[in-house]
Amino acid sequence: MNSTAGWVLGTAVLVALVAAYLAWTAGRVQRLHTRAESAARALDAHLLRRAAAAAVLAEQRYGVELYAAARIALDAAPEEREAAENDLTRQLRGVELDPADPACEAVIAASRRLALARQVHTDLVRDARAARSRPLVRLLRMGRGREWPRYFDVDDPTLTVPGETPTGEGQGVPGRSR
Amino acid sequence: MRIGIVCPYSFDVPGGVQNHVMDLAEALIGLGHEVSVLAPADEDSPLPPYVVSAGRAVPLPYNGSVARIAFGPVSTARVRRWIIRGDFDVLHVHEPLTLSLSMLAVLSARGPVVATFHTAMTRSRVLAAAQGVLQIVLERITARIAVSALARKVQVEHMDGGAVEIPNGVAVTKFAGVEPLPGWPGECAPGSGGTIGFLGRFTEARKGFPILRDAFVALAPHRPGLRLLVAGPGEPDDLFGRFPAELRDRVTFLGMVSEADKARMLRSLHLYVAPNTGGESFGMILTEALAAGTTVVASDLDAFRRVLDGGRAGRLFTTGDPVTLRDALVELLDDADQRAALTACGDQVVAHYDWPVVARRVLEVYAAAIEATDGRVIDQEWAGLGGPV
Repeated sequence: MNSTAGWVLGTAVLVALVAAYLAWTAGRVQRLHTRAESAARALDAHLLRRAAAAAVLAEQRYGVELYAAARIALDAAPEEREAAENDLTRQLRGVELDPADPACEAVIAASRRLALARQVHTDLVRDARAARSRPLVRLLRMGRGREWPRYFDVDDPTLTVPGETPTGEGQGVPGRSR
Repeated sequence: MRIGIVCPYSFDVPGGVQNHVMDLAEALIGLGHEVSVLAPADEDSPLPPYVVSAGRAVPLPYNGSVARIAFGPVSTARVRRWIIRGDFDVLHVHEPLTLSLSMLAVLSARGPVVATFHTAMTRSRVLAAAQGVLQIVLERITARIAVSALARKVQVEHMDGGAVEIPNGVAVTKFAGVEPLPGWPGECAPGSGGTIGFLGRFTEARKGFPILRDAFVALAPHRPGLRLLVAGPGEPDDLFGRFPAELRDRVTFLGMVSEADKARMLRSLHLYVAPNTGGESFGMILTEALAAGTTVVASDLDAFRRVLDGGRAGRLFTTGDPVTLRDALVELLDDADQRAALTACGDQVVAHYDWPVVARRVLEVYAAAIEATDGRVIDQEWAGLGGPV
């Protein structure tokens, strides 16, 4: 009698613990996905801002090629976007930017903040994908209903401005396959 | 912006992280933001108005130094209360992977969290064993800052994440133009005189004091008037016991110095010597010495090499070698022009480390963290980012 009660109690406690762990893990997976999606929206907004700033600068002076690159980046379909953004980065690196000029400064600032958004997005996508790859999470399909968060694999968009000391940010994070 | 900063180490003991936190908080307040700093501190210790005490801290040996930290249920409750009352736009924790207030704050946080990593910890067995636990802490962090390339490298290689490298700042105005201590630095001519200095724990092996001691003991008998000024925690008897009796009157020990006296002490030197043998992830003291306009002689560590711009802003000597240090001391003490050239270059280098400049870069990371949390983009003006950084 006594030992039966003990077994029942023990099993109940175990079930409760497992349930609590599973609920916590499911919440964690959902939270990480939500955050990766927010980061992707912020990254998208910063990409648009940079392209817009580059287009303004191109209209003012650097002309057709830069304007075309900015336009292509703004209009790119999702699967072509990474290449288009890298192309815009290359175009911007090719022109001389004077921090004293407002249009140039807007591009420099937008690039700097884009670099941060990219860094944060990469980290958060990695966290979300790591959580989702765990065997238990896969087995119980805790991420169902959500797309796998995708890396946005572009070069570091930081522009070096004359007079600034390099800080090693340009080393970037090794790109991961998607 | 409402900013909550968590410092893991007690403000009762001076230290690199504590100073970093205080200077950052003051720079952010100077840029017009609301800042609250949570840190362990004794009840009766005087604290700046923006610091909230989280109670007493216990000493714990860590990474070759002694750190004073707070951890436990009482601290947890205090951290939670502070976070709820603070209603911060962003929470900025320092060294979140130590068992400390910072880790508690990360685990209690709901909004965007920015973490700064100061130490260049290499992967330890403890770290590897606790990877699962650390992952829970790490994945609550939105954006990471590393204060040095080395600290960043550890992030990328061992914590499987990136980090933005933003160097330690230095409050240039607090160091430049301060009066030296009375009677210092004294004469310095070819062949005689000169004052060299060391600041830090002379008892701690990785600070490399024995290397400076050996160089001084070898040089002093041949160079009349050469003096050594030492500041930092430790017993005077322990320090003077390291020198032969006839040289003891040429060594001056200041003991622990306040931040204000640190600036005066650095201004009282012809040469500041940083003989560290390793474990330095950034070399804060070097930027401080440069800000004070003092010529720096430092061991050839990666971190020091970077701050000194590869040797343009200060002299590098072979790490751990008293002989090359002695040669460097002789050469620089004899050559005022060379010292002036190094300090002139040092002024340019240190401008990039001035706190208002550094704080603006930190603000951009705050903005990135907030944006990544709710997916909307913050205007330059709202974030107080102002003009070019």
